[in-house]
Amino acid sequence: MLVAFVALAISLGLGRAQEYRASDTDVIRVAERMYCPVCENIPLDECQTTACLEWKDEIAAQLAAGRAPQEVINSFVARFGDHVVGVPQDPLIRALTFVLPLLATLMALGVGLRAFRQFAGSKKLRLNAEATGADELRDASYRQRLEQDLRAMR
Amino acid sequence: MLAEIGLSALAIAFALAVYAAAASALGGRSQLARWQLSGRNAALLTFPSLLLAVAMLVIALMTEQYQLSYVYSVTDPQTPALYRFTALWGSQRGSLLFWSLLMSLFTTAAIALNWRAERRLMPYAIATMMAALAFFLGLSLFLENPFERWWLLPAAAPGAQEVSSALIPPLAVAPSEAALRAGAQGLNPLLRHFGMVIHPPMLYLGFVGFTIPFAFALAALAAGELSSGWIKATRRWSLIAWIFLSLGLILGGRWAYDVLGWGGYWGWDPVENAAFLPWLVGTAFIHSAMIQEKRGMLKLWNMLLVIAAFSAVMFGTFATRSGVIESVHSFARSEVGFPMLAFWAVMTLVALALLLWRWGRGELRDERQFANLLSRESLFVLNNVVFIALFIAIFWGSFGLPIVSELIFDREVTIGAETFEFFVVPLFIAMYVLMGVAPLSAWGATSLPRLGAALRPPLLLTALSVLALALSGTSLLTATAGYGVVLFAAFVALCEIYRGAKARRRLLDESWPRALRALFRRNQRRYGGYIVHLGVTVIGIGVIGSTVFQTEVQHTLERGASVAVRDYRLRYDDFIRARAVDGRMMNISVVTLSRDGREIARMRPRIDDYEQMPMTIAGAHSTLENDFYVLLIGGDRERAVFRIYINPLVNLVWWGGILLIIGTIIAVYPKVTPASRQRKREADE
Repeated sequence: MLVAFVALAISLGLGRAQEYRASDTDVIRVAERMYCPVCENIPLDECQTTACLEWKDEIAAQLAAGRAPQEVINSFVARFGDHVVGVPQDPLIRALTFVLPLLATLMALGVGLRAFRQFAGSKKLRLNAEATGADELRDASYRQRLEQDLRAMR
Repeated sequence: MLAEIGLSALAIAFALAVYAAAASALGGRSQLARWQLSGRNAALLTFPSLLLAVAMLVIALMTEQYQLSYVYSVTDPQTPALYRFTALWGSQRGSLLFWSLLMSLFTTAAIALNWRAERRLMPYAIATMMAALAFFLGLSLFLENPFERWWLLPAAAPGAQEVSSALIPPLAVAPSEAALRAGAQGLNPLLRHFGMVIHPPMLYLGFVGFTIPFAFALAALAAGELSSGWIKATRRWSLIAWIFLSLGLILGGRWAYDVLGWGGYWGWDPVENAAFLPWLVGTAFIHSAMIQEKRGMLKLWNMLLVIAAFSAVMFGTFATRSGVIESVHSFARSEVGFPMLAFWAVMTLVALALLLWRWGRGELRDERQFANLLSRESLFVLNNVVFIALFIAIFWGSFGLPIVSELIFDREVTIGAETFEFFVVPLFIAMYVLMGVAPLSAWGATSLPRLGAALRPPLLLTALSVLALALSGTSLLTATAGYGVVLFAAFVALCEIYRGAKARRRLLDESWPRALRALFRRNQRRYGGYIVHLGVTVIGIGVIGSTVFQTEVQHTLERGASVAVRDYRLRYDDFIRARAVDGRMMNISVVTLSRDGREIARMRPRIDDYEQMPMTIAGAHSTLENDFYVLLIGGDRERAVFRIYINPLVNLVWWGGILLIIGTIIAVYPKVTPASRQRKREADE
């Protein structure tokens, strides 16, 4: 009797699983994270090409078969490559995507801060130099070059 | 005859531009007035020549001269008159000619406004502007000629071959008018929208506008006039270019929202990003130029920003017109690709070489130095770092990485919105924080207690607003924090305007409207800037609302059935197939929208079926609170599939854009004072 009960439960469960159909909204949730294989930079959920309609049907079928959204996406990446998703999957390219702009920004910030420190430091030096006339010496060399240029122009 | 006149005018304009560039450069170098005047006059003559060329093309478009291959490719007998006119910029060849006309118009305006005041700089500035114009006219004349016509070769032979040529090939005859009319291709359906009437000219005006500050910067470097004079001469031009670029971006977003049918307005697409990059550098320059004007600092940095803005414009133009965005391999197929890349590289390298030369001679030394990390100039520099970081991240994601990945790793990658958002969200937060703090700090130095005291009122108002949001049920912490940062910047701008008007009332006993009017009139730049900041905060509120709280669902409905989405109910009523006057088939669904049991709108989302391209036109019910936006995905009379979006606060994006434009116009509007009248009189004498 127990065996019969378990068999009945399993068959009912299977019946429900076969009946399960992914909703249109579920398909969109996955498709909006993917890109059209034909058109450049068009998200899959927006694209109406035949290829995209077929992909959306396949997403619906995979979701109905019980696959999680990320598994569905992974299956497409495995077959068609990185360009079907908006974030590169290859570890090296992924690292390049995220690390390089961060490094560039940090470098820009570092250069800015260093320049600021130099400026702030040179301000103190300048205050000391005013008494010794160091600034006048620096300006004198510039003035000398300017006068040379003017002479050359004449 | 139209083609002959147009082609001749184009060739004359090209010759004039080449001559003007050479004569002006010679005049600038030798300081000989006759060369300077000759170069200026030739530059001024390019505008009427180009106006004539453009007029010929417009007449050809309006009067259906299909023998012109451009007219054939962008119009057909069903094209309405308005879109016949806008077809001028509907494809590469026409838009290049239109671009040249705008470039020439800007040059004429710059000569008219700056010739007397900036006499030392003008010959070099004209030489730079004319070099850019000559390059684009050269592309039009030799590679993308809009006056090419269809010819049959050889004449009267069976299976005669069709060729497109600007000059009449030997033995060629014109194809029959009837055959050309029947085969005309019509305008790209995506461009048949009112937004496309205004969006491209605005964007081109913005792009072309950044050539003027670049020309003045290059002139300052060439002439060695490196005081802050060139900044004063170009500040207004930069703001004008910035207004047009901002308008172009906002209108482009609105067009995408209405026409592309995906419920959004910004998709981090490379073409969008190509227009956004010069805007970012331009915004950084508008802020740092103030430091040079007020404090004589950042001379080198400002030069770099102006060069970068022009370079971004040229790179964006190259990227969108060469096909390099689609694939690095399509770049080689595009005829304009290599010349544009070469021109971009040459102009950028020449500018950088001049900059390095002057820098090496110590001529770009700042007059003052940074003394305090909290001073306004230091915070403006931080603001510049944020804008440049945004520039780097967006450039890398849009162009750098896809090109590197395909060339080096032989792998195509797509950089989607989620990748861009990883970078831009924290940077935009930093931008809003700086937008709030920087206006409250003083030039030179600010003490922390003084800045803290100035920050207290806006911070208090922000805290109260965030509390009100939390109590009203905004449960998402990230959104509440985002609103808090944006509102802080808005409250700073409002508090500053209030403080200024209150001071006037106290001192001069003026009424509120009078005090506000006088405040804006006395310091247009400062208070116009606050209105711009307010516009940016309104856009920020709209962006947070419409992205974080967006609802997106898709449902299949039987006729007469309805579906509930949040507190709305949508009913599918009917389906109509109809043919429009321009020949497209329209599949129109009729739906009714209700809220709280009351019908509030009837909408007709539809699919326009052009021969090769279906277009999804949304039905939308707009309020300030949100947009109920519905798309027909497919179906028939009995059953239809709808995609439904509820976009909260999306209309604030457009209203914020309008506020931003108003603020910029206030800031840039010429101020007539007794002193300026006197200066003008002296210059005229």
